[in-house]
Amino acid sequence: MLEKIRKSFMNIKLLRKVFNWGRAWSLWSVHLETGCCGPEDMARACARFDTERFGTLPFPTLRECDLIFVTGFVTKKMAKRLKLTYEQMPEPKYVIAIGHCAISGGLWWDSYSVVQGVDEILPVDVYVPGCPPRPEAWIQGIRMLQEKIAKEGLKK
Amino acid sequence: MSVEEKVIESVKTRFPEDIIEAKVKRKNRVSISVRSNRIYDIGLFLRDELGFNHITSVSGVDYIDMNELEVIYTIWSIDKKILASLRTKIPRDNPTLKSLINVWEGVLYHERETWEMFGIKFEGHPDLSSLLLPEEWDGPPPLRKDFLLPETPQEKLEEKIKRAGGW
Amino acid sequence: MSVMKLSMGPQHPITGHFRFILDVDGDLVLKLEPDIGYTHRGIEKLAEKRTYLQNLPVIERVNSYCDSAGTMLGYLEAIEELMGLEVPERAKYLRVIAAELNRIASHLYAACLFSVATGLETMLMWPINDRELVLDLLEKLTGQRITYTYQTIGGVRFDMPEGFKEEALKRLDYLEKRTEDYYKMLLWNHTFHMRTKKVGILKPSDAIKLGVVGPNLRASGVKVDVRKDEPYEVYDKFDFSIPTGKNGDSYDRLEVRFKEVEQSINILRQALKDIPKGPIKKWAPPIVPKGEAYTRVEAARGEFGYYIVADGTMKPYRLKMSPPSFRNLIALPHLCKNVPLGDIPVIYISLDLIPMDVDR
Repeated sequence: MLEKIRKSFMNIKLLRKVFNWGRAWSLWSVHLETGCCGPEDMARACARFDTERFGTLPFPTLRECDLIFVTGFVTKKMAKRLKLTYEQMPEPKYVIAIGHCAISGGLWWDSYSVVQGVDEILPVDVYVPGCPPRPEAWIQGIRMLQEKIAKEGLKK
Repeated sequence: MSVEEKVIESVKTRFPEDIIEAKVKRKNRVSISVRSNRIYDIGLFLRDELGFNHITSVSGVDYIDMNELEVIYTIWSIDKKILASLRTKIPRDNPTLKSLINVWEGVLYHERETWEMFGIKFEGHPDLSSLLLPEEWDGPPPLRKDFLLPETPQEKLEEKIKRAGGW
Repeated sequence: MSVMKLSMGPQHPITGHFRFILDVDGDLVLKLEPDIGYTHRGIEKLAEKRTYLQNLPVIERVNSYCDSAGTMLGYLEAIEELMGLEVPERAKYLRVIAAELNRIASHLYAACLFSVATGLETMLMWPINDRELVLDLLEKLTGQRITYTYQTIGGVRFDMPEGFKEEALKRLDYLEKRTEDYYKMLLWNHTFHMRTKKVGILKPSDAIKLGVVGPNLRASGVKVDVRKDEPYEVYDKFDFSIPTGKNGDSYDRLEVRFKEVEQSINILRQALKDIPKGPIKKWAPPIVPKGEAYTRVEAARGEFGYYIVADGTMKPYRLKMSPPSFRNLIALPHLCKNVPLGDIPVIYISLDLIPMDVDR
């Protein structure tokens, strides 16, 4: 019953827009570093680049997060944990793949223990290329995701 | 006589039978090649008498043409400022070597890694279990020369492009 | 009295890419077993398949976290030793400048992580902002923020840009002044003392026995630094000291890092003053002659060893890396015996382990 009411509410265009606006501007990110784009994660979250301006704040508890940055290459050992982390996050949830390694394996294309592209295990929303991408590129990735969320559930 | 030559001289006089080759490679570097069954005693001698106390690395090299594996312990002496590489060769088919964990405590992870990467069994090592490789690994030890990496990612890429519906 | 197994990480604000398996009794940690390998790429194997020049970006990413310039020096040293190549003087100075700037950035990053572990959030923002100033300098010099591939076989890729020297000296002055603020903010802070003093004491005899390297070894009072012991590049021309600690606890390990930042500033000033004019690169053949070499350099986290076996082709027959974090890792289970659970992050961060470096 509740679910039905929720769904019918979500069909109202204005309400949907408000929901989307809220979601887009409070993307809290999980702290799970998979590869070597880690220090740039720190740089973009801290004083100079400060992605909190765009509502993206690294948060320790994954149960309250809705965004996961896949920072760099994903090894086979990490892939299982990454999937587990993703499954534990509440809906709606979004994935941004950071760096060439997360997109296609990058420099490790022939490695025996690296997953060739994170899209083999998670549904990726935005790809940010670079090795590692500059914090400005991260910010652009976040902005692109926000634009994507703003259109969610609305007829074209 | 330089310090390096003195080290070589004392090792040679103490173990005349078991040293295959011992030489000064350059300043601060000596190389001592020994028989694999006496490596423990020579290790003890290096630590106690000559002051080689700071373990730097344990590495293996796979000489597939000669059907041999080489294990190299590199040890730094803080007082003498010399790096000694203590090396021994073992057969590739049944690689076992006495662990030097009782000589240098720091080789714990180094030996475990060498076991994992080359399949060299260190007798007396407390914990030879998987360290770096994925849990479900069932191939041969990866750093051996008969483990080959894929030559081209082409097939993979084409598959991906097809799945995405073209460029 | 019952012992429980607790798994910590890899999704944890402190552990990074590690997992710790802890045996806990109430709040007391009896034993810690690190579970590593989450960032294992098999670089040693990949290096055998690539040529010496192709290997540069691969090897740099062993420690691309903060210290790519310092890490790469050892590899180049080994190749140049095998080739018998003498690098131009100016290139040596430029390499040292990049490596020392990187060391400052790395130690400031360590300070950030340390303040997160002790819950001092302001101190997280300050050094990371100052680190950006250093990264700007490196970007000016090399064209990248954290992965440079700046040093290459036979020299460096680019010369110093115009105005770099003045800008660098200005920023170094600022950083030196700023260090005082760090002391006031973090190192003389009473809360910080309570969290870090007498926590995780590593005795000098244990440190040598376990093979611990770098600032962690020096914090225990052992004066070992490759830059002094067997000077590489042009380190023998600079006048600098090796800071050491007294007690070997977590506090000392951070203090040594701050003092090293001061020494790095000192070295950089001398290097910028004395840098000679001349070519920056010498042509190097793609084939490395047969032989083997073991070289050591002092990266930000400690001594980095490279062992190369060359068989006279364009590719290395075997490349062994002995990274500092892998050698410092053994100190972690040694220190985490019978300590409260709350001290685990402090001890872990104080060792400044970088998982990428451990796993390769």
